[in-house]
Amino acid sequence: MQNGTLTELFVRWTGKLGLNYEFLATGYEAQIWRDGFVTTIYLVLLLIPVSLLFGVLFAACLTSGKPWLLAPVRAFVEITRNTPTLVQLMFSFLALNTFVSNLLGGAQHNPLTPFFWVVAVVGLHVAALHAEALRAGIEAVPASLVEAARGIGFSRLEILRYVEVPLAFRTSLPAIVNNLINLVKLTTVGNAIAVSEITYASIMVWTQRDNVVELMLVILAFFSLLNFIVARIGKWVERRLAVPGYGI
Amino acid sequence: MTVVTAQRPAGRRVLRNIGLVALPAAILAWCLTDLSLGRELMQWLPYLASGFAMNILISLCAMVLGTAVGCALGILQLVPYRLVRAPIVSYVQIFRNAPHLVLIFATTYIFPFEIVIFGNYIAFPDWVKAVIGLAIPASAYVAEITRGAIQSIPTAQWEAATGLGFSRVQALRWIILPQCLRRSLPPWMNVLASITMGTSLASLVGVHELLHAATDASTAVRRLDFTVIAYVVVMAAFFALCYPIGRLTRRLERRFLPG
Repeated sequence: MQNGTLTELFVRWTGKLGLNYEFLATGYEAQIWRDGFVTTIYLVLLLIPVSLLFGVLFAACLTSGKPWLLAPVRAFVEITRNTPTLVQLMFSFLALNTFVSNLLGGAQHNPLTPFFWVVAVVGLHVAALHAEALRAGIEAVPASLVEAARGIGFSRLEILRYVEVPLAFRTSLPAIVNNLINLVKLTTVGNAIAVSEITYASIMVWTQRDNVVELMLVILAFFSLLNFIVARIGKWVERRLAVPGYGI
Repeated sequence: MTVVTAQRPAGRRVLRNIGLVALPAAILAWCLTDLSLGRELMQWLPYLASGFAMNILISLCAMVLGTAVGCALGILQLVPYRLVRAPIVSYVQIFRNAPHLVLIFATTYIFPFEIVIFGNYIAFPDWVKAVIGLAIPASAYVAEITRGAIQSIPTAQWEAATGLGFSRVQALRWIILPQCLRRSLPPWMNVLASITMGTSLASLVGVHELLHAATDASTAVRRLDFTVIAYVVVMAAFFALCYPIGRLTRRLERRFLPG
C-alpha cells in the first residue's frame, strides 16, 4: 500500500522533529479528522451560493423603496451585523429549534439538523453583509442608466436583474470577497452545536492524543490555504468581469 | 467603502434610531405581559451583567494589547530589511486568515494553566488566554491598518521631512504617524467591533462571559420562554455595544472622506 507507507514515513519524520502525528496511522481518528476537513470544505462550498443568493435578495429589498419591504430587512441586517454569530447560532439552535420541535410534536419529528442551523445562521449573517455591500453598489449605479432602462420599457425587476445587479456586483466585488473570507472563518462556530467540522474533529483527536500544537499548525495552514484560494478566485472573477471604462 | 448619500431621508434616520431601543423595548414589553417571566429575568439579570462585564474586559484588554503589538508590527513591515519584514508579513497573513475561534482554542489548550515565576506558582486564568487569543488576530488587523495608513501618506512628505533635517524615525513620529491616526481610526473601530463580538467565542472554552451566563441561566430555569428571552437579552446587550461603534465608524468615514 503506497498510501500507508507514505503516512508512516510522514509520521516518522515529523516524530523526529518532536511533532506527534501518530493518530494519522490509526484508522478511526484519522477518519474523523479527514471528515472534519471535508465537512468544512462542504460547508464553505454550500454557504457561498446560499449567502450570495440571499444577499442579492436582501439588497433588492433594501433598494426597493417600499417601506414594508425595507423596514424588516433593514432591522434584520442591523441586528445580524451587530450581534455575534455564535449568539445567533445558539439562539436559533436552542430557541427556534426547540420551538420547531414542539410545533411538530417532539424532537424525533424535527427534520432540522445542527448542520442546517449552521448553514442558515452563517448564510444569512454573511448575506446581510453582502446586502450592505450590494446596496452601496446599487446606489452607485448612475441614475441616467436606470432612467434609460426605464425609458426602453424595463420593469423594476428587469432593471434590477439586467442593469443594477450586474454593475453593483462589479463595484462591490472586493467587499464581497472580504465577506466570503469572513464566511470561511465563520464556519468554525458550527463547533458549538456539534457539527463535526475541522475544529470539532480536532478536539476529538487532541483530547485523546494531547497534540494540540501539531493539529493547530495544520488547521492554521488549512484556513490560510482556503482563504488564499477564495481571494485568488475573487481576484480572477474581478478581472474577468471588469468592464472597460466603468468603475474603479 | 461606503457610498456617501448627500442627504439621508428622514425616515431612515428614525429607523436607525429605533434600532437601539427596539430590542430592549420588546424585552420589557414581554416581561410586563408575563410577570412571572419578568421576575425570573430580574433574578438572573445581575448574573448576566457580571458575564457582560467580562466580555467588555476581554475586549478592552485584547484591543489594547492588539493595538500596541499591531502598530509596532505595522511599522516594522515597512522596514527596508527583508529579514525583518518576511516573518512579520507571514505572521500577519496567517493570523488575519485564521478564525478567531481557532486562535482562542490554540491559546487555551497550548498555554499552561499556571506559570512559575521565581518558584511562585501563578494561576493563568482562562479569560487571560482568551484575551491573548483575540489579541493575536487584532494585532494582525491593526498591523495591516497601520501599514496601509503609512503607505497612504505621499512620499513627498518623507522627502520634505528629510529636507528639513528630520531623521527617518523623527519624520515617522512627528509628521507621518499623526496623520495616520486620523486615517486609521474608522478601520480600527471596525476591528474593535469585530473583536468585541468575538469575545462571545470565549464561552466555548468555559470563560464566564455573557453567552455562557445565559446558557447557565436557561439550563437552571428550564423554561422555553425564559431561554428565548435570555438569548434576546444577550443579543440586545451586544447590539447596544456594537451598534453605536458601527454608527460612529460610518460617521467618521464620511467626515474623513476626501472631497
